[in-house]
Amino acid sequence: MDTLLDLRDVIARGTLEIRGDGKAGGGLILAFQSLAALLLQDPTLHVQEWPFFSSARRGANIRSFMRVSARPITAACEVTRPTVALLMNEGATAAVDFAEGVPDGGTFVINTRHSPAECAQHFKLSGRVFTVPGDDIGLKHLKAPLGNVSAFVALTHALGGLDPDAVGKSFLASLRKRRIPDSVIERNRAALDASRAAVRSGVYRCAGPADHTAAQFAGYGALPVGAQSPLRLSLGNRTANYAPSGFRLKFDDPSGACTGCAHCITHCPEGVIHFVPDDRRGLLVTGVDVTNHCKLCGECIAVCPEHLFQQLPYEEAWGVRDEEPVAP
Amino acid sequence: MSLDLPILPRATTAAGERYDGVIDLERVRAAHQPVHRRRDQLSADGNTAAAIATLQMWRCILYPGFPITPSTKWIETVAAYVASHPGKKRVKLLEAEHAVADYLAGAAAACRDLVFPTATSSVGLDHMTETTRSLGASGLGNVMVINVYRATANYPLCIEGDPSDALAHRDDGFIQLVCRGPQQIYDTVLQAPCLGMHPEIMTPTMPGYWGIKDSHRSARLVVEPDEEIHAFQDAWLPESRLPGLLNGDTAFGNCVTSRHFQGFKLDQKRRMERVFELLPRIGADFEHHFGRPGLGLFDGAGWNGTADDVDIAVVGMGPDFGTFEALRAGYEKRHRVRVAGMAMRLLTPFPREAVRARLAGAGVVLVVNHAHHYGRGHLTLDVADAIAGLPDPPRIVSVFAGLGGADVSEGTWEALLDRARAALAGAPVPAWGMFHEGVAL
Repeated sequence: MDTLLDLRDVIARGTLEIRGDGKAGGGLILAFQSLAALLLQDPTLHVQEWPFFSSARRGANIRSFMRVSARPITAACEVTRPTVALLMNEGATAAVDFAEGVPDGGTFVINTRHSPAECAQHFKLSGRVFTVPGDDIGLKHLKAPLGNVSAFVALTHALGGLDPDAVGKSFLASLRKRRIPDSVIERNRAALDASRAAVRSGVYRCAGPADHTAAQFAGYGALPVGAQSPLRLSLGNRTANYAPSGFRLKFDDPSGACTGCAHCITHCPEGVIHFVPDDRRGLLVTGVDVTNHCKLCGECIAVCPEHLFQQLPYEEAWGVRDEEPVAP
Repeated sequence: MSLDLPILPRATTAAGERYDGVIDLERVRAAHQPVHRRRDQLSADGNTAAAIATLQMWRCILYPGFPITPSTKWIETVAAYVASHPGKKRVKLLEAEHAVADYLAGAAAACRDLVFPTATSSVGLDHMTETTRSLGASGLGNVMVINVYRATANYPLCIEGDPSDALAHRDDGFIQLVCRGPQQIYDTVLQAPCLGMHPEIMTPTMPGYWGIKDSHRSARLVVEPDEEIHAFQDAWLPESRLPGLLNGDTAFGNCVTSRHFQGFKLDQKRRMERVFELLPRIGADFEHHFGRPGLGLFDGAGWNGTADDVDIAVVGMGPDFGTFEALRAGYEKRHRVRVAGMAMRLLTPFPREAVRARLAGAGVVLVVNHAHHYGRGHLTLDVADAIAGLPDPPRIVSVFAGLGGADVSEGTWEALLDRARAALAGAPVPAWGMFHEGVAL
């Protein structure tokens, strides 16, 4: 890393490109819309902001893009070499490299309870790293692990030079545009205040030369007739990516309480429940493969008469459960 | 709708009952509550920009609709505004798109001086087809179907922008206008009724823009005061000479023999072609009023004038053309070729004479198609038709990119231009090529 990229300088000389990765329903789009509205208050700036999402439900990976420049912007293609990359939901990294294409000396903003140093090491980042424990702040103030308020604040810290009052007002104005009740807006105001004090940052050099380079598109290959893509209708479609973030299914039967009723097996839409036949009781469940296809639909949890299935907190990107200590 | 209007004497016509003056336009105008009293700047996406434009027109009082991605935010925005600003405007959420189109027809026939907008996409437009075909022929230029482009196929389902829906409806009888970016979307929606309701045209309009890429793209939007918008529109909209038709007597009542059918279609075609002359005039007047470019036949990039002797002339449409604009000068410099481009703004009727004049001096024409076509591409066929008969017509390089709303990256544009450059040097040109991420597929 030769030098850190000065974001204001990038805007003045050319176009600042920002990309965000998150999951549907997590507020990524709102954070970007609020930032665009905030930046557009400066009459000298031109801003474009738009999302990319599929028809898949809540929990699917989504992206947001933004361009900011002192000159009119005509380019409409996706941002592939962002100077700033936001990771709104660490679970999104199971499907994408949020840092892909970010140049040396770029800026990374991560919604995480981990420190900038831990993130730089874990995600192999070179540049300025900002972190904020947005989900925790969301849980405290909004009663849900919504980190978008904090991620938005961290983004404005990364950009610098923005009036804190205007930052808060812009986000709350975006909420009002969506006709959010006043009581919820007040809770968001509290989350904004809490986020300001919780942003941490540092400069690191942890990326190797081959890290985060974009794979070259090599064509679509031979698609099976009728298939929408190589992923659809096949085991290659990692449906676990659509699971609510921060949780994972756990089967726990230390006392051998499984009755062999097989309700969970017949209800599971993904066939991820492992079992063995038992002459006396039926089909005894031995475990669950949550690695690729469990989308946490909750069917097994609902139908098990012995309540042997649970949804537990889990940091997918780090492979640790909530109760496990995080290495300093 | 309750406008407390007086019941006026009826006059009978050969076509049925006629209610002259049944809607008091001055009272409708007076009931309008301004959305913006002064020029303002907002951050808005394309759907919001289209919604604001329709809300600002005093002639828009009924908003029928049925939601479909990616156009849903248009009706959501209109409905939210109407609900929070009690007045005379009404939203009519209907059972399906076909019902919306029927509603548009009935309402527009009942009062030809008001504007009746809706927004739809993809199969939503397909569902309307039976009625849009009739609307197109009906003379109901006061109908505006805002088409938020999305691939028409339900299999595979794709919710992103692809103009295959608009291109499948080229012959419905609508004037199809293409826009990109919230500002152009807003401006186009404001100008469209002036074109469609012009006494010499009387043809419904279909302003269109890319789903997601533009419907969901936010940028700065300058909104004009309602009063100024009304002054601009009213100057172009004299009171309709045709009666308002109520009580089941709509514009769809006629069944004709082939003898009349052909004559009817000839007249329809002639009305449509008046667009070529009137559209630029409306656009120029808009620019005079508001200081921004108004409607045009196409946006140009890199031209020094008509029939400029460029090496490569690009013909495309939609937001991806902006990426070409961003890299055009750099490509010219690196490869020492002259490159210019045109993004179509008027899709139907296709402005063949203007396109021919602009492309006459080009070495190669690179036509970029963004929708599936079993031939060389919808746009390619139009361009080929436009340049046919030129003494020394440029070679056409026909390509597809961005199908289903796929990203058209800078790398893809470079690859497209490289193919055109190879053709310029005499390389053989395949009938068509498809590109993605800089790769010929």
